[in-house]
Amino acid sequence: MLKNMRVALFTLIALVSFTTVNAMTHAYQKSHDKQQLSITDPWIRSAPINAPALGLFMQITNNSDRDLRLTSAHVEGYQRVELHRTIDSNGMMKMVRQEFMPIPAHSKLHLKPGSWHIMLIKPDRVPSEGERVMVSLRFNDGSAQVIRASVRKGRMMIKHHSMD
Amino acid sequence: MRAKFFVMIGTAILLAIAALYPLSGIKDYKSLNAKLTAAHIMHNADKPLSDFSLIDHNGDVFDNNSLMGSWSLVLFIYTHCPDVCPTELANMAMLKAQLENKHSAIIPKVVAITFDPIRDTPEVLKTYVSHFDKGFVGVSGDSQQIDQLVKDLGAYYERVVYDEAGKPITLKKNEPLPEDAIEKGYVINHTAIIYLISPNGQVLAGFPTPHKVSDMANDIELLTKVFEE
Repeated sequence: MLKNMRVALFTLIALVSFTTVNAMTHAYQKSHDKQQLSITDPWIRSAPINAPALGLFMQITNNSDRDLRLTSAHVEGYQRVELHRTIDSNGMMKMVRQEFMPIPAHSKLHLKPGSWHIMLIKPDRVPSEGERVMVSLRFNDGSAQVIRASVRKGRMMIKHHSMD
Repeated sequence: MRAKFFVMIGTAILLAIAALYPLSGIKDYKSLNAKLTAAHIMHNADKPLSDFSLIDHNGDVFDNNSLMGSWSLVLFIYTHCPDVCPTELANMAMLKAQLENKHSAIIPKVVAITFDPIRDTPEVLKTYVSHFDKGFVGVSGDSQQIDQLVKDLGAYYERVVYDEAGKPITLKKNEPLPEDAIEKGYVINHTAIIYLISPNGQVLAGFPTPHKVSDMANDIELLTKVFEE
């Protein structure tokens, strides 16, 4: 009788534990799927071996209800990493350093040639095409993301008045 | 007798005009301009460039004669440019490949002249420009000579340094760079027009942004064909 009760108790505890863990896992996956910020297609333009500056590009999607900002980026092996935007002002291509990059609620910021980009300055070594480079991004809500950007050719047209 | 004399003079004048006509370049710029998609005919297309003497990435003299005898596409760049200039050079490589694939009769030589000869020596340019295409030519040299060429082509640039607070300061045209500018870095705001120069050294057309390579290839075929006829 005592033995039967022990087995029943053990089964009950195991069942409760399993259900709890399962529910927690599900909840975690759900929150993970609905990340506030998601980064897609991060890439660095392949550059000459003596290039003093490289461009880093990606798409940042803000799934949240509040406006967010990318405040800084960090990549090992560069003297400085800065946020920049190229602006075509009546044919004059202006390179303008930014304190942050705005990512409005429920919208996407596209970092691309001729527009918003992250400038990687004075590399210890210029990465080769096909390499993957670790990049840390910090946002104004205190969150951070580490991504891997692939190095590839980028042949893209510079458009007039790129705003997005 | 008098009438015969005037007829002879008139004929001689007409023959002279006919002989000089092809040398006057093209003739009907307005209708040609209307056919172009990506380029525009330069407003002073018949005006020759001032004399200049620069240095190519092999250390050889690059002057007015270097632009004679073949078609050229000239653009201004600087190697510390992370965005616009590498995009332009990559576009030029793609344009050359397109013209080759189309078996175009004329594939212009690409010449990239630096806005920034202090940092972009011929050696630096050789490594940098060759990355995009082995046939591209990088050109550096005396800054005043470059400035003259920039002016002649209707291009423009300005150097921007940052103060301690990170505020951008645009330097005046002939203002020297601050002593720490090389270490701290500076950027250059600049026009990004690509110039098509004919074998007689005539700056015929300019391609402003955006640079859609297929449209550029079509315009180059049209312009070179008209001028080669």
